Amino acid sequence: MNHILNMQVATPEIFIFSMACLILMIDLYTHDRLPLLSYWLTQATLVAGIYLGLGGMGTEPVTTFNGMFIHDGMSVVVKLAIMLFTLIGLVYSRQYILDRGMYRGEYYVLVLIAVLGMMVMTSASHFLSLYLGLELLSLSLYTLVAINRDSDTAVEAAMKYFVLGAVASGMLLYGMSLMYGVTGSLDIKTISAAIQGMQSDDVMLMLGLIFIVVGLGFKLGVVPFHMWIPDIYQGAPTSVVLFIATAPKLAAFAMVIRLLVDGFQSIAVNWSDMLVILAVLSMALGNIVAIAQANFKRMLAYSAISHMGYFLLGIISANPNGYSASLFYMIIYAFTGLAAFGLILLMSRSGFEAENISDYRGLNREHPWYAFMIALVMFSMAGLPPTVGFYAKLSVIQALVDVNMISLAVIAVLLAVIGAFYYLRIVKTMYFDAPEAERTITTGLDARVLVSLNAVMLLAVMPWIGTIMDLCMSAIQSMG
Amino acid sequence: MQEEMKMIYLAVPLVCLIPAIVAGLFGRKIGRIGAHTVTILGVGLAFFLSCYVYMDVMDGNTFNGTVYVWGISGGFPFEVGFLIDSLTASMMVIVTFVSWMVHIYTIGYMHDDPGYQRFFSYISLFTFSMLMLVMSNNFLQLFFGWEAVGLVSYLLIGFWYTRDTAIYANLKAFLVNRVGDFGFLIGIAAIYATFGSVDYSAVFASAPSLVDETIEIIPGTSWNMMTFICIMLFIGAMGKSAQVPLHVWLPDSMEGPTPISALIHAATMVTAGIFMVARTSPLFELSETALSVVLVIGALTAFFMALLGLVQNDIKRVVAYSTLSQLGYMTVALGASGYAVAIFHLGTHAFFKALLFLGAGSVIIAMHHEQDMRKMGGLRKLMPWTYATAVIGSLALAGIPPFAGFFSKDLIIESVHASTIPGSGFAYVAVLAGVAITAFYSFRLLFMTFHGKPRMDEHTLHHVKESPWVVVVPLVLLAIPSVLAGFMFMEPMAFSNYFEGVIYVSEEHDVLGAIGSIYEGKTGFSLVMAFMLHGMVALPFWLAVGGILLAWLFYIKKPELPGKVVDSVKPLYNVLVNKYGFDDFNQTVFANGTVKIGKFMSEYGDRRLIDGFFVNGTARVVEAFSRFLKPLQSGLVYQYAFAMILGLLGLMTWFLRVAQG
Amino acid sequence: MTFEQLAFYFFASVAILAAAMVVTVRNPVRAALFLILTFFAVACIWMMLEAEFLAIVLILVYVGAVMVLFLFVVMMLDIDFDQLREGFAETLPIGATVAVLVLLQLVIVLTSGPFELEQVAAPVPAAADYGNTHQLGLLIYTYYVYPFELAAVMLVLAMIAAIVLTLRDRTGTRSQKPHEQTQVKRKDRVRLVKMNAEKKN
Repeated sequence: MNHILNMQVATPEIFIFSMACLILMIDLYTHDRLPLLSYWLTQATLVAGIYLGLGGMGTEPVTTFNGMFIHDGMSVVVKLAIMLFTLIGLVYSRQYILDRGMYRGEYYVLVLIAVLGMMVMTSASHFLSLYLGLELLSLSLYTLVAINRDSDTAVEAAMKYFVLGAVASGMLLYGMSLMYGVTGSLDIKTISAAIQGMQSDDVMLMLGLIFIVVGLGFKLGVVPFHMWIPDIYQGAPTSVVLFIATAPKLAAFAMVIRLLVDGFQSIAVNWSDMLVILAVLSMALGNIVAIAQANFKRMLAYSAISHMGYFLLGIISANPNGYSASLFYMIIYAFTGLAAFGLILLMSRSGFEAENISDYRGLNREHPWYAFMIALVMFSMAGLPPTVGFYAKLSVIQALVDVNMISLAVIAVLLAVIGAFYYLRIVKTMYFDAPEAERTITTGLDARVLVSLNAVMLLAVMPWIGTIMDLCMSAIQSMG
Repeated sequence: MQEEMKMIYLAVPLVCLIPAIVAGLFGRKIGRIGAHTVTILGVGLAFFLSCYVYMDVMDGNTFNGTVYVWGISGGFPFEVGFLIDSLTASMMVIVTFVSWMVHIYTIGYMHDDPGYQRFFSYISLFTFSMLMLVMSNNFLQLFFGWEAVGLVSYLLIGFWYTRDTAIYANLKAFLVNRVGDFGFLIGIAAIYATFGSVDYSAVFASAPSLVDETIEIIPGTSWNMMTFICIMLFIGAMGKSAQVPLHVWLPDSMEGPTPISALIHAATMVTAGIFMVARTSPLFELSETALSVVLVIGALTAFFMALLGLVQNDIKRVVAYSTLSQLGYMTVALGASGYAVAIFHLGTHAFFKALLFLGAGSVIIAMHHEQDMRKMGGLRKLMPWTYATAVIGSLALAGIPPFAGFFSKDLIIESVHASTIPGSGFAYVAVLAGVAITAFYSFRLLFMTFHGKPRMDEHTLHHVKESPWVVVVPLVLLAIPSVLAGFMFMEPMAFSNYFEGVIYVSEEHDVLGAIGSIYEGKTGFSLVMAFMLHGMVALPFWLAVGGILLAWLFYIKKPELPGKVVDSVKPLYNVLVNKYGFDDFNQTVFANGTVKIGKFMSEYGDRRLIDGFFVNGTARVVEAFSRFLKPLQSGLVYQYAFAMILGLLGLMTWFLRVAQG
Repeated sequence: MTFEQLAFYFFASVAILAAAMVVTVRNPVRAALFLILTFFAVACIWMMLEAEFLAIVLILVYVGAVMVLFLFVVMMLDIDFDQLREGFAETLPIGATVAVLVLLQLVIVLTSGPFELEQVAAPVPAAADYGNTHQLGLLIYTYYVYPFELAAVMLVLAMIAAIVLTLRDRTGTRSQKPHEQTQVKRKDRVRLVKMNAEKKN
């Protein structure tokens, strides 16, 4: 075990936390005079973080902090995606935050600490660091959801999130403690080695695994641990939902990989069976209930539930090929979600949330470009070719077919067809319904350009899709 | 050197494509003059490069290789490759030359048309497509060129898209070609299935060893694979080269502007089928059945389409039917294994048919877009250049020595005569009869248009004048090869090793060898003279002369005669006017029948069953389900927590109790 | 049964009973007090496990600080707990059933193998001069420095979160701001508007 603290590999984390503290202080003194300073500092921090993270590309897996922090290909890729998506999301939400009086330096500090939490989770090779990372993230998110204290729905959503999150954390912890009881260690590598020789029908092992899967299920938001998602998506400020719906999904991916793959690959057959149930339930419930929604954000919440089901398909196949398909799916999904919520933010302005589907009636007549953007996003979410969403679904289903889980693949495809309905309904609403009220777009130019770019990329990135897939594959293969 | 030539090969199609793109996309920016300048320069350059390539090939430098790999799918490469040999080089020269002439001519013909730039873009694109087709070294690229030619012809026939008849014609051309293309595609698929490759060289190399391969299309009956492939390929050729019964699109394609008629009928599109069969001669030679089919279809086309030319009054349609008939001749030559002759005729025909079309176009310009020959007459003095060139073209078409058509057509007839495959007897009679009819209608056209008394109204007559130089120059330039191409190229193409290694003819089918043996020992000018002298005393020549004399009798000497003849054979005449009822048959059975089936399927299959039951029914069920599940999300946090506990309990029960047994 | 076992069962029973009372008693203050009792019982069990430091910390932090704070909140906010408990009786049967089922399965599994007393050898009692606090300190500041730092970050975060969610500039209060009052200008107070004289009706 490495007792020398080689903190160099943790530079991005250390940097981000230092900057978070610095911004907290700077904001105190400059808030009135230079209101946007914290925003720009945060963006600069993320840019610098990405730069530092890029420095870690392609190096051999290294552990530090007595084996509690691991630096490998997967962690680098996921961390970069987390920082990048957070950065883009902040650009989209700046105007929204300003308009609604939520602009405070602490907002950005909380976001940065959440990013730190995600990065810690991504690099965790020890139950303790994993759990602490998770709680750092969760606590920041609870606060962010409630940050608009004057909104009753937001406070209520935060409360629910907090209570349910606490229950889920409890279950996860209980699972971890059972694992500790079985293996005598909290170190993921040691656990993995310890259960190597155990029977896969060891009930104690199973019990611990079940609790851990439940905890993961909550974090991912898969049925039946999904209940918080619709309420949070609908109740929380859109800028926060944008954040919750993107970067933390990648962190959740990392958590799944760290726990199930790094830790329990030898009993993959067991957790794979459990995930099958969760995945099928999620795809079915998410896609079916989304149809009945009138609120756009709530609809996207159910869509998120179903997407998590699809994401699990790659994990279920329990081989590196499937994991890389899942990583690819998650990146694409987060990127698409970024555009989706970015466009909702773009359409909203002070006093108007643009969160009902009816708010989008006839959008094409006034803003054909943005209507087209939303249509693109919907196509990608529905997984229609030639958008990237199609390739994402294709890759996870391919992974299933490769391990001969044909019936599951067929179910997934059928449910995707049902899912296409409500995405396309948005398109129909925008293009064929008569507009109701006038809409003006007040968002700044940077956000408009970036969100357009984001949506267009869903189509334009096509020629490089192979490169992204290769990146995911190499990330998975270079895990320590 | 090899690399340089590769660049030149690549340049030939590209100098046609790039101007087409420029004229098409930036037509408005570069204006009319810009559009015709770039395209004419491009195609002109392509012509000179083709000539250079031709010289190079004559020096013995052939090429076969891949230029660019477009993609690999499932181990199957999609390649862009060139096969440059004597056949390709000849086709390149013919295509680019005729196309170049047409380009120049278009300046005059389309002078007042608002779609000027678009037209230039299309015809350049057309040339590009045709070049891709002939230069290909594999069936897939051949198919690309094939389809591209079809597409551009669709655009060109419907160029005047505000005319209903033009829209109808281009749709018809497209649909009929689809039928052929379908066969062609099956042929290519069968080739790939049999040989595992679509590369010419690979396919041809392994063809003889697979001659006994069979295929079961209808269970229980096995077909020879080669026959199947060849017939399928030939169905493709029938579509493009307008053989009975897929010929119906060609007369209607006259709806396009005249330059394009010249381009389609003379040098490009319709010759694609002939070219393709000649190119795949190593396959056709392996199947006597297929050759016989080719021969009979060609003979039918040659004879019956010629008959239709007799009753047409539209100047362009007469020429169009002559094209059909001449294509029949080429097909007959293919069927008789005289591939070299077919290509030879293709070449000479390209020149004189382009000449005739452009001449007709010249007349049409002068007549202010009047195409009915009954309203013409006496234009000889007013349009001397057009007249002179039209005479040359007609003589060439009728097959009078020493014009180009004589040599090629006479060789075809000789080949059929020498051929022994089933159907050759019938074909011989058909092509002989065709000669007389061809001579008759081509001179009917000449006499009705240029001789006799002017039948147009005063106003038109007053305005008739010779066409501008951009029209006349191409006529003259095309007239030259129409006279010379025959005796210049007869010996090399038909009686030498010109196509050695390119076209394969098996021993027992070698009709040209048989003909050549008559002229044993003669070469150069003496061979040409001997051939002409032999032709002068042979039956076809006198049939042609007879046809001309008859035309003279009918339309100069006794103009009342045609009416009487028509009255006496009214039923036959009606059959001809109705074009044997092909169009009516297609319209009633295929077009209306398909519409009816479509309507039935739409109503019962789609709207009731699929839409009503499957789609909407499923949607309704899902929606009902969705409404049922929605209230589960109650908003009460303890219920949410309870759901999680239930989930936990479920997992525990399943995996600890049930799964563990 | 040794004295140790007796003590363990006693404290364990107290802990469980007190925990059950927390969720069943009507009065919130009493519920809080029962929770304190639970903590005490658990602290005693930890003490028996020779985790003296943790036991003390539990009492100091949870009983001394957290629960007192909690009692303050309960007393200051006049929450009608009866209203919150509405429907308790209806949901009790199903809730209880599920709880029993979960418990049953847990019990079956936990008593099935590795946690049996025979499986785990009783640890050797530590020497009298053994310092639990010392050992913990050594581990926390060396081996577990990373989680320790993260926990510190979490405390910072908790502080920020608490302040963000509670601190607000009150609007509508009537406090005096002398520095602003003295600096007031005429244009802030009076606005002169030009108007045409109105006609008398």
